[in-house]
Parts: sequence; C-alpha cells; structure tokens
Amino acid sequence: MRNKLFALTCLLVVVMLMLAACKQPTQAPATQPPAQEKPAEQPTQAPATQPPAKQVVVSWWHITTQEEQKVVWQQLADEYMAANPNVMIEITVLENEAFKAKLTTVMQSGNPPDIFQSWGGGVMIEYAKAGLLQDITPYLDADGGAWRNTFSPGALAVYSYNGKNYGVPWDMGMVGFWYNKALFAQAGIEAPPKTWSEFLDVVKKLKAAGITPIALGAGDKWPAMFYWAYLAVRIGGKDAYLNAYNRQGSFADAPFVEAGKKLQELIALEPFQEGFLGATYGDQATVMGNGKAAMELMGQWAPAVQNANSPDGKGIGENLGWFPFPMVEGGAGDPGDAFGGGNGFAIGRDAEPEVIDFVKYLTRAESLMRCAEGGWCIPPVKGAEVGIKDPLMKIVQENALKAKYLQLYYDQALPPATGSVVNDAVQALFAGTMTPEQVAQAIEESAAEELSK
Amino acid sequence: MEIATRQSTGIFGARLSRRTQDAATVVLFLLPAFILFIIFVIYPVIQSIYYSFFSWKGFGPAEDFVGLENYKRILTDTAFRKALGHGLLIIVLSLTLQLPLSLALALMVGRDLPGRRFFRMLFFMPYVFSEVITAIMWMGLYNPDPDRGLLNALLILIPGMKPQGFLGDPKQVLGCIFVVLTWKYFGLHMLLYMAGLQNIPREIEEAAMIDGANSRQLLTSVTLPLLGGTIRTTIYLSVLGALQQFGVIWVMTRGGPINASEVLATYMYRYSFIRFWLGYGSAVAIVMLLISLGFSIAYLRLIMRQQDYLGSY
Amino acid sequence: MALLTHHQRYLLRKAIPRLIQYFLLSLFVVFILTPIVLLVFGSLKTRGEMYSRPYTPPIPPRWENYARILGTDIFWTMLLNSLVVALVVTFLVLLICGLAAFVFARLNFRGRDELFNLFTLGLMFPITIAILPVYLVVRQVGLTNSLQGVIIVQTAFQISGNIMILRNFFASIPFELQDAAYVDGCTAFDFFYRILLPLARPALSAVASLTLVVSWNDLLVPLVLIDKEKLWTLPLGTMQFQGQYGTDLALVAAFVSLSAVPALIFYLFAERQIVSGLTAGALKG
Repeated sequence: MRNKLFALTCLLVVVMLMLAACKQPTQAPATQPPAQEKPAEQPTQAPATQPPAKQVVVSWWHITTQEEQKVVWQQLADEYMAANPNVMIEITVLENEAFKAKLTTVMQSGNPPDIFQSWGGGVMIEYAKAGLLQDITPYLDADGGAWRNTFSPGALAVYSYNGKNYGVPWDMGMVGFWYNKALFAQAGIEAPPKTWSEFLDVVKKLKAAGITPIALGAGDKWPAMFYWAYLAVRIGGKDAYLNAYNRQGSFADAPFVEAGKKLQELIALEPFQEGFLGATYGDQATVMGNGKAAMELMGQWAPAVQNANSPDGKGIGENLGWFPFPMVEGGAGDPGDAFGGGNGFAIGRDAEPEVIDFVKYLTRAESLMRCAEGGWCIPPVKGAEVGIKDPLMKIVQENALKAKYLQLYYDQALPPATGSVVNDAVQALFAGTMTPEQVAQAIEESAAEELSK
Repeated sequence: MEIATRQSTGIFGARLSRRTQDAATVVLFLLPAFILFIIFVIYPVIQSIYYSFFSWKGFGPAEDFVGLENYKRILTDTAFRKALGHGLLIIVLSLTLQLPLSLALALMVGRDLPGRRFFRMLFFMPYVFSEVITAIMWMGLYNPDPDRGLLNALLILIPGMKPQGFLGDPKQVLGCIFVVLTWKYFGLHMLLYMAGLQNIPREIEEAAMIDGANSRQLLTSVTLPLLGGTIRTTIYLSVLGALQQFGVIWVMTRGGPINASEVLATYMYRYSFIRFWLGYGSAVAIVMLLISLGFSIAYLRLIMRQQDYLGSY
Repeated sequence: MALLTHHQRYLLRKAIPRLIQYFLLSLFVVFILTPIVLLVFGSLKTRGEMYSRPYTPPIPPRWENYARILGTDIFWTMLLNSLVVALVVTFLVLLICGLAAFVFARLNFRGRDELFNLFTLGLMFPITIAILPVYLVVRQVGLTNSLQGVIIVQTAFQISGNIMILRNFFASIPFELQDAAYVDGCTAFDFFYRILLPLARPALSAVASLTLVVSWNDLLVPLVLIDKEKLWTLPLGTMQFQGQYGTDLALVAAFVSLSAVPALIFYLFAERQIVSGLTAGALKG
C-alpha cells in the first residue's frame, strides 16, 4: 500500500506541476509587443550624481569569446560596477552562431537584451523598424554632441537609420589583401598590384611558380562575396550602390554585372586552394597562416585569426603584408573607397539611462585603447587609435580613415533576405553555376521585394 | 467496452463502477502527457499555421496578411524543389543502401556469432554522439587538404588520384553527407532488426532446416517474411527521419555549396532565421508537416499492418 | 580436395562463411571507429600538432588537455546541469509516457485512436520552427533561465515517440493477465503499477536510454532558454568552448570527447537492456 501511495503522490505532484507551469498557456501569441518606439528619455547625468541610486540590472550579450579578449570586457564591466554600486552588469558571452540563433528568438519574442553585439546595417534596421531598439540620438547629441563627436562619423552612421542612432561602434575597419611577402618574392613579384589586370598577372605568376595564389573559404559564403562586392564598389562607386539601394537604380545595372564578369576572369585562373567551395573561413585562415597560399581578401581581424590558426600561434609573422583592393581600369569608384565594417553595440528598447551611461564608459578612448592594444579592434573613437601598436593594423586604420566612401559589407548593409541572396548568388558564381547576369538579376529581384517595403 | 464484456461474471453494479473508475483513469493518466503535448507541440503547430498566412519577418505583430501567397511561392520556388529532391534522394539511398546494410549486419551479429555483443555495442555507439560532435568528427575526415584530412591523405597514396573536395564539391557533398548519416543512424535500425530477429521462434527455422531448406531459402522464405513487421517499421522511421534531417547537415555544410546539400529543414531554417521571413518559413514547416502526414497516412493504410505499429489512420 | 577427409571438409565449409563474416564486420568496425579514434588522437595532441596531419597517432600522448578541462569549475558545473536535466527528463518521460501508453494500450474509450494519432504529429513537426512559441510560453510562466524550463520543454518533445514504443509493448502483454487482475479486485492503477510496470522493465529501460541520449545531446532548447553560464549544459559549453578555444583544436577535441563520455558510459550499462527492451515486443513482427 505504501508503494501505491507513493506512486499516487508522485503522480499528483507531477500533474500539479504541469498545471502550475501552464497557468496561462493560451494568451501567448498576443504578447508580441506593440511596435511603437518608446519615446527616448532625457539624457541624464552620470548616475553617481543622482542620489538615491536606483538598482539597475544590465544585460549585456557579446560574442568576444577568446579568453584574453573577453577578460577586457569583464574588466571594464567590473570597473564600472565598482564605481557605480547600484548597477549590476550581467554578461552573456556567446559564440557567434549561438548568439545569432538565440538573439533571433529573443528579438522575435519582443524581449531584447539591454546591450548586444551588432554589425549595424540591414539586420539592425529590421530590429529598429520593429521598435525593439532604443533611439539613443538624444544621448549622443547632449551637451552639444559631446559623445557624438568622439566617434568617426562614418562608423557611427553604420548604426543609424533614418537619422536616428540605435547603437554605437567599437571597431571599424576595412577589407584588403593580406599577402605573404616571401611567396611573392619566390614568384618574382616585386610590388603589390595596383590594378585588376596587374592583379590577374600576379595570380598567373604565382600559379606558374607552383604557389596557391589565394586562400578562400567560399563555404562560408561571405569571404567570397567580398570579391564581388569590392569589384562592384570599384566599378560602380558610391553612386551605383546608393541608386540601387534607394530604388532609383537597380542591382541589375551594368556595374553589378560587370563586377561578376571581372570576377569570372579571376575564377577562370583557378587561383584557390583545393576544396575552397566547401571551406570555411577558419580553413582559409589556416591555409594563409601556414604559408600555403599567397593572399587572402579579408578584414582587419585577419592577422589575429591567421596567427591563432597556426601551430606556433605566430602565423607567417614578418612575412605578412597588406595592400588595398586593386582599382579597376575605367571604374567609377575612387581607388581610395573602402569596403568594410566592424563591430558595435546596439541598445535594447527597454534599456535604462544607466545602460547608456555604461556604454559611454565602454566606448571611451581609454577603454577601447585596451582592445586596440590587444590587436583585436580598430576603435573608431578619437584618441583610441594610439593604442594600435601593430604597423599593419595602423595601415588599415589609416586607409579606412582616408576613404571618402566606406561601403558597409553588402550582406550587412542590405536587408537580411537580400544580403543572404547576395552571398548565395556569389557562391554560385564561384561554382560556375550562375552567370554574372543571373547573379545581378537574383540580387535585384530580392532587393526589389525587400527595399520597397 | 472490451473489458466490460469480458467480465462475464461481474455484477451490474460492479461493472458500472469499473467503468467510472476507468474513465477517471483515462483522464488522470492522459492529463500530463496531454497538457505538455498541447502546449509545446499543438500550440506551436497552430501558431505556425497562423503565421504561414502572413508576410512576416518575425518581429512585432504579424499584420501583413497574404493568404495562400507563401504556399504558392513555395510550390513555384526552384530552390524548394531542389531541397525536396535532395530529401527524396536521401530517402531512396536510405531505403536501398542503409536499411539493407543494417539488416545484413543484424543477420550477421544478431544470432549466434561469437563476439556479437562486442559488435552490437560498437555499432550502436555513433547514435550516442550528438549531431554537432558527429559533424565535427567527419569534417576533420573530409578536410580537402591531405595534410589535415585523413581521407585525402589516403587517397593520394593511390597513384593517379588527386585530393577531392568532398563537402566542398557540389557533386560529392550529398554522397558525403549520406555516409555520415549512415554512420550515425544505421546502428538504430540494426538494433531494431536484431530485436525483431530475437522474436522469431527458433523452432520455425529449425523446422525449415529439417525440411531441407538451404540457408538462402531459409532467409528469403522464412526469416525475412517473419521480419516483415520490423522492416515495415524501420522504413517508416527512416523516411520520417530523413524528412526532418537538419543538425548534421547544417553544421557541416549549411546546405551548400550552392544549395547542393539543401534539404527541407535547412531550407526552412534559412528562410525563417537567416532571411527573417518567418511567415514563409512557417509555411515551409507546415508543408513539411503535410508531407510527413501524407506519407504516414498512405503508408499506414497501404503497407503497415495493425500489429506492426498500432497506429491507425 | 582429395587430401581432406569428409569431416575436415565439413569444418571448412562451416569456417569459411564465418571468416568472411568476420572480415566484413571488421571493415565495418574500422568505418565506425575511425572518426572516434581520430577525435581521441586529436585530444591527446598539442595545439601545434593539430595543424599538420592531425590524424596520426599521438606520440607521446599529451594528457594536459584533459587535465586542463577537468581543472576548470565550469566543466563540472555544466556536467552537473546536464546530468540533472537528463535524469529528470528521463524520469518524467517514463512516468508520463508510461501512464499515457497504458491508457492507449489497455483501456477502451471513445476517440482513443484519434487521440493517439494526434500524438504522432509530434514526430512530424520540426522543432526548430516551434522554438519561438515555446520560448514565449516558457517566458510567460517565468521559467526562462532555469533548468526546470529546459526539463519541461525537453520532456514535451519526447512524448510522441516514446508513447508509441511503450504502447506497443503494453499491448503485447496478454489480456488474460488484466482480466485475472480485475477479477482479483485490482483497479486499473493497481494493474498498471503492480503488474504492467514490472513486466515492462526492459521496454522502460530502452525508452530511458534513448531519452537520456536525446536530452544529453540537445542544444537548441538550453541555448534559447538559458542566459546564465552557471546553468549551461554540456552541448552549450561545447559550442562556447569552440568559440573560446576554436583555434586550439586539440583542446576542443578533448572537451568534445569528455562531454560524450557520460552518455557513452550510460549507454554501455544500458546496452543489454535496450536490445532486450526493444526485443520484448516494442516492435513486434
């Protein structure tokens, strides 16, 4: 009998648990938050000057997982909490893919974290349109734009939509060719190429010398997209993109088709390592970091990743060089125009003023100098660039600064659906299953649908 | 009813109380499962049906009602057809290669082979590894660089062979994935076959042997027919499993290169969470559900027998 | 041939198929073991050794990777979380599915088959798309950032398949037993608890093992529901670890190997039960 009683109790407990757990299961769909933007609150002074201090819990999601890098963020949070005992900062560190999957669900449920990693552009715009982000323009403009003026305007603009800012950058750089000087010398190449035809010659020389000219992780798609997009920037310039984006032009216009054709010239030379179509960016960095290919087209983080992916952690060391993407003869783009992007933090809708104050603290030159010193960011904040010690990183930073026009990565600038089409279509171009015309057409079809909304 | 009529000696009153008692049991015993099921399975299905009628990015309320537009689009999308085709190919390969292989192995180790326990244990082991770990292990093997991937390292030992792209080659990728799926899942089917084999009474086979059947005749006219129910069940599970296949493929190739390994689930995930077309993605999920459901109904009606599986549509 | 006696020929005829069988099975053992062995090889190497021929045997083996992981608190925390989740889910699944399967297999009521068929829907709906509504419900009940939330959701998603297995098993038990029990004055619950469950032990073990493996390996549910690192389970940790030490492939291999060990150990213990459990009628021919 005791057994039976025990079993019955168990059963009852479980049933009650279930019932308790399911109190209001039916009204969940209605919980989508109203899509209005919360009126921005007035900027406040530092919370320390506001007695009595309110207890605030700040949720901060970032994707800086590398051991020596994530401690920098932790230190900054600890310092801030020590100075502001009323603020409790809860950090969630997530691996990039995990972060995207989790953030999407949380955003769809209408419950954004206070501070989270953002690359600006199309995805951020979607969040902003849905009212999930906070307009922080008033904070930027307070005290005669004191905070705003610390940022480089181009980088800050990446986190704005319709003239309002929903986040701030902490890293901004550009894409260029990283090359192995020793392998170039071995192939008898004296100087980095300046034009596309010179570049193709370099590729041919390398091939002739039995060297794999280019490392590419086309399986991840975006590294391949860089080639097509950069060519479009060089050929069509700022105007071609903006016209297409504003729907006065089209992504099927001549410059975008031409970009595909130029790219085909390169692909026809078969310059990539074996299996590049399925390779990841990690594979690409490994090939490059171990001196098995002569070049890769990549952003400012490339040396760090190359080093990390080499046996001794030092990559190809002194042999690494950098040159900007070659100009295309007859192209409308300025040879100095840059294609790139970086990292930033977006601010969730329900963030308290204390959150903004902490983000201000994070993006001070003194704070960002630490990641610059670590060599894992190029801070777009005045005064922080002195932290950059690596000469190659300095070159990238200077080139990015000089650029008259910075084109944000296509897959981030465009709406997510179109960005994804760009990546898919360019990969097909690399695989030889789509023509340049078809690539441009596919992108235009998606843009026509997404951008008109 | 059955219980009541069988109780030939029962007094009327006792029977009534038994019935009320049974009714209470039914409700009480089903309640926990039912509640959880309604909340976490049925409710999401209904939600998805609702969303599938909207052009909705997943943020804020779904307002842009488009009727059956999403479904029309699915049916005309070539990428969807390609994904469906890949799914069907995986099903066909599973039924023609994976299941016969599992059956052959089960016949070898299922009965009296010395050391069968060792083989059995080993063959089911891959099923215990998670999809992510499985993908990581195999990506190492498939690495196109002979200095990093074992398969290519072995391949170039053969004169005249060049390193292969494997997951990076649109022509090879689906085959490579199928090998991984077989590695991971054949153990489960083998186990089911072994279970079925142990249920076949020894006497029947012995009788056949005495009647002069050779081992081939024994297999084709005694063992396999008696295994019929198990075989039909594994086919059912295999098809449903193949239609839902996601984790291994997503981690290894994300459906690429150039959609060469795209299947229904990766297609759905791409639209829902990468392109932010949650309305469309929901419609894809519902289409997947309908395909599975259609298959189930047809299969259970036409092929399965009541005692195989006890489902009945 | 003439040199062999009749008896020798008989033995040969028996031995050759056996040898062929062992040969084929050995090929398959190689196929099964290669990826696993390579993973273990990798985990016993240094970071640098992984960049050139990671598939060669680790000589000498480096146990530092394992020591390093086992020396961190977070690994043990995640192991504990995973164990708690997997064990509670397994218990709940057994209880809930056992009760429901009993009703479907042994009691008659109106709409029984329809209801049962409804449950099979769970096998056909992709959970990835269900995650948003699921998240909304869990948040509303206030169970995000708790192991209870993960447990409830994982349990819910395991109901369909396991009810089916158990129902099949329960149905295979002779009805005479039930009649006899009722004649003796047992209630339906008595019959279930006193007679059916003890008889069903093999099937319950099979269900328990399969449930445990699925719960142990689940990534999506804890990823979406849990923010706090303290509550993470091992699959989440694996993902994170890859990000953190993604370039130290040897260390990642060690972490991955370690995270699979508990499930493997459990499987080795339960293996005999699984086979006999499935045999005992779960999938009758």
